[in-house]
Amino acid sequence: MMNQSSAQLFQVEQLSAIADLTNSLSKKLKKYQLVSMIDDQSQPIELFDCFDQSVRQARGLLYVSGKQLNLIGEHCGKRTQPVDSRPGFVADLNSGSVTAQLSCVSPLRSLLAVGKALHMHGVIKMLDNNDKTVARIVIDGFGAASNPQPLWLAYVTTQPIRGYHKAHLELLRALTESKLTQAVQSIDTAKIYQAVGIEDSGYDRKPTMRFGAEQDALSVANQIIRTYIDIARVNEPGIVADHDSEFLHDYRVSLRKVRSVISLFKGIYSEQHTQEYKLAFSEHMAPTGRLRDLDVYLLEKESYFQLIPESLHEGLHIMFGQFEQERQQQLLMLRKRFASTSYQQSLEALASHFIEQPDAQEGPLAHLAAKAYAQQLVWKRYRKVCNIARGIDANTPDDDVHELRIHCKKLRYLMEFFTPLFPQKRIKALIKTLKGLQDNLGLFNDYSVQQESLQAYLANHANKGRKQDLMIAQSVGALTSVLNQRQHQERAKVMANFAAFDSDLTRQEFRQLFKEKD
Amino acid sequence: MKIIACYSNKGGVGKTATSVNLAHALALAGKRTLLCDLDPQGASGFYYRVKPSKKLQHDAFFKDVDKFTKSIRGSDFELLDILPANMTYRDFDIFLSRMKNSRSRLKKALKAVKNEYDVVLLDCPPNISTLSESVFKSADHIVVPVIPTTLTERTYEQLLQFFDRHKLGKKKLIPFFSMVQRQKNLHTETMERMRKKYKKSFLKASVPFSTDVEKMGIHRAPVLDFARNRPAAKAYCAMWDELQQRI
Repeated sequence: MMNQSSAQLFQVEQLSAIADLTNSLSKKLKKYQLVSMIDDQSQPIELFDCFDQSVRQARGLLYVSGKQLNLIGEHCGKRTQPVDSRPGFVADLNSGSVTAQLSCVSPLRSLLAVGKALHMHGVIKMLDNNDKTVARIVIDGFGAASNPQPLWLAYVTTQPIRGYHKAHLELLRALTESKLTQAVQSIDTAKIYQAVGIEDSGYDRKPTMRFGAEQDALSVANQIIRTYIDIARVNEPGIVADHDSEFLHDYRVSLRKVRSVISLFKGIYSEQHTQEYKLAFSEHMAPTGRLRDLDVYLLEKESYFQLIPESLHEGLHIMFGQFEQERQQQLLMLRKRFASTSYQQSLEALASHFIEQPDAQEGPLAHLAAKAYAQQLVWKRYRKVCNIARGIDANTPDDDVHELRIHCKKLRYLMEFFTPLFPQKRIKALIKTLKGLQDNLGLFNDYSVQQESLQAYLANHANKGRKQDLMIAQSVGALTSVLNQRQHQERAKVMANFAAFDSDLTRQEFRQLFKEKD
Repeated sequence: MKIIACYSNKGGVGKTATSVNLAHALALAGKRTLLCDLDPQGASGFYYRVKPSKKLQHDAFFKDVDKFTKSIRGSDFELLDILPANMTYRDFDIFLSRMKNSRSRLKKALKAVKNEYDVVLLDCPPNISTLSESVFKSADHIVVPVIPTTLTERTYEQLLQFFDRHKLGKKKLIPFFSMVQRQKNLHTETMERMRKKYKKSFLKASVPFSTDVEKMGIHRAPVLDFARNRPAAKAYCAMWDELQQRI
C-alpha cells in the first residue's frame, strides 16, 4: 500500500540506548502516546551461510530465530518466512520472501551454521488521542552470544502508516534530534557481523594473488602451489561432514591446479623432482575420483531421466540406487583416508617442499624473471592451440579434438595463474574469449567420458544375467545413444567456435601481451 | 480487485459488524483490503479508531481522485486500510442525482485504487436509494445479513423484488443469517424455512448474537483482535472461507 512518506533507517549502538529510546522520544512527541513493546530479554539466534560465504559477500545476514528464517540485506531490508527444519540447500527451503532473495547462493551449496548471536526485537507504537496507531518504530538489535557484556548494534526503522503523514514526519524529526539514534542510509551488515563477532573466513576458491614481474619464476610457482594446497585442505572437514558436493569439487580442482603448475611450469623444478611431485599429487587425487564421478551423476540425475523415454526409466532407477550405495562406500573410504596419520603427514611433507627448495630441486629456469617466463609459456601454448585447431575439419579424428581440449585447458590455467603479471582487464578479457571454445570442448569431452563410463558400468555391474541387468542395459543403451548424438552436436560446433576465438583482435592481443617485450 | 458490498435495506441487522470483522478476516487471510465506509454515521471508522475524513466532503468522493486516495487511512492491522465516512455522506443521493451515469459513479471512484487492493469492502447505509443502486451496480458480490425474524425475512423479499423489477443480477446477492439466537424457536424455524425456500443462496456459516460483537464499541477493535477464539470471531472466519469459494 502506498505511503506518503517513506520509511527511514537509524542506528543505535548501545543496549541501554534501546531501552531509553521510548522515554526519550516521549519527551519530544508530547501530543502522542508511545507504547513500547520491546523484548525483555534478547533471544539466541543462529546465523547461516554457505562455505564460500555467498550471503555475506552479497551483504546479507541470514539467521534463524525460533521458527523464523530471517534475511537482512543492505537494500531489501528485513524479510522473514517460517522455517520448519534447519536450512540446507536453498531449493529445499519453503518458498517465501527470504528464499526469493537467496539467488546469490549456488544451488550446489548447502547453507551451514556459521555462529550464534543474540537478537532483540521490539516495536514502539505511536498513538494519537483515539489510541489509533499513527506510526511505528521497528527495532532489530544484534549482539555477540559469547561475550558476557556484548557489544550491540541495532537498527531502528520507522514505519509510516497511510494517511498519517504528519505524525511520521514528527517522528522522523524526533529521531533525527535524538542523541541516541543516528540516521543511516542503509543497513551495514559488515558492522553487524563485527558486533556479533563472526569473522570472515576468507575462503576464496580462486584467490587473487600478488607477485612482481621481476620476481623469480620459482617463487611464483611455490606461491601458487602453497595457496592451492591450503585451499584444498580447508575443504577436508566439509568433505568428511558431507555438507555438499562442492567441498570435494574445490578440493580436487585445487590439487589439479597444483599438479598443473608442476607439469606446465617447465624447467622450474629439476626433472626428477617434477616427476616425483606430479606422481605424489596424482596419488592424492586418485582416491577422490570415483566419488566425484558419482557426485556428478547424482547431481545430473534429473537430466538423465529427461534424456530417455519413461518406459526405460526403471533401469535408471536401479542404476542410481546402486550409485547412491556406492557413493556411501566411497565417502566412508575417503573419511578414513583423511583421518589417517599417513595422509596428514604425507600432504604436510609434500607442502613443505614448496616453502624453500634446496638448490638440488631447482630446474634450469628457476631464477628467470616471472613475467618473461610467463610470456614464453603462454605464447608457446597459444601457438600450439592454434596449430591444432587450424588443422581440424569435419573429418579430423576425435582424438585430435580431445588433444585440442587438453591444450586449451592448459592455456587457460597458465593465463589464470599468471593473471597478476599482466594488465588485468586485458588478460581477463582474453580468458573470457577462450571460454566459448572451452565450454564447447568441455561438453564434447563430458559426453564422451559419460558414454565410456556407462559402458564400463554395464560391464562391471550389470553382467550377471539377472532381470534387472537387462533393464539397466536397455536404459543405459538408450542413454548412450542420446549422449553420442550430443557429442556429435558439440563436435560440429568446434570449428565455428575456434573461428570466433581466432579473430584478428584476439591474435593481436595475444601477441602484444605474450610475445612483445615491454 | 473485487468489490464486496455489505448491504441490507433494514437497519440494525449487523451490517457494520459484518463489514468491520469481515475486513479484518480478509486482511488476516493475506488480502490487501480497503474497508470503505459509506454510512454517514461512520461506525466502521469508529471501530477502527479512524477519525471522520475532513477533506473528502460532499461530492469530492465521486469527483476528486486525489482527495479520495489521500483520505485513506492505514488501520492498526497489516494489509487493512480504511476510508472513513463523514456526515456529508448523507447527501450522496443528491450529488448522485445531479451527475450523469449516477449508477456507475461509485465504480469509477473505486477504480482509483484498483491496483492497491485485492478487495474493497463497502459498508452501506440501510435504504434503497440512488447510492444503493450504484452499489448494486458496482459490487461484484453483495453480502446481506438477515436476522431470522419475520420482519427481516420480509425486507429480504422486498430486496429480491427490487432486483427483479430493475433487472439486476440476483446472483450477486449472498445472504447469511446474522445475530442468530439458536435458543429461540422462531429463529431456528425461520432459518429452516428460508434455507429451503432460497435453496443454496444462503451461506452455511451464520453469525451468532454475541456480546463480543457489542463489546467492539468498548475495545474499538474487531472481535478477531480481542476475542479470537470466541464463536463470533470464528463465524466471521468461516464466513470468509465460504465466501472465498463462492467468489
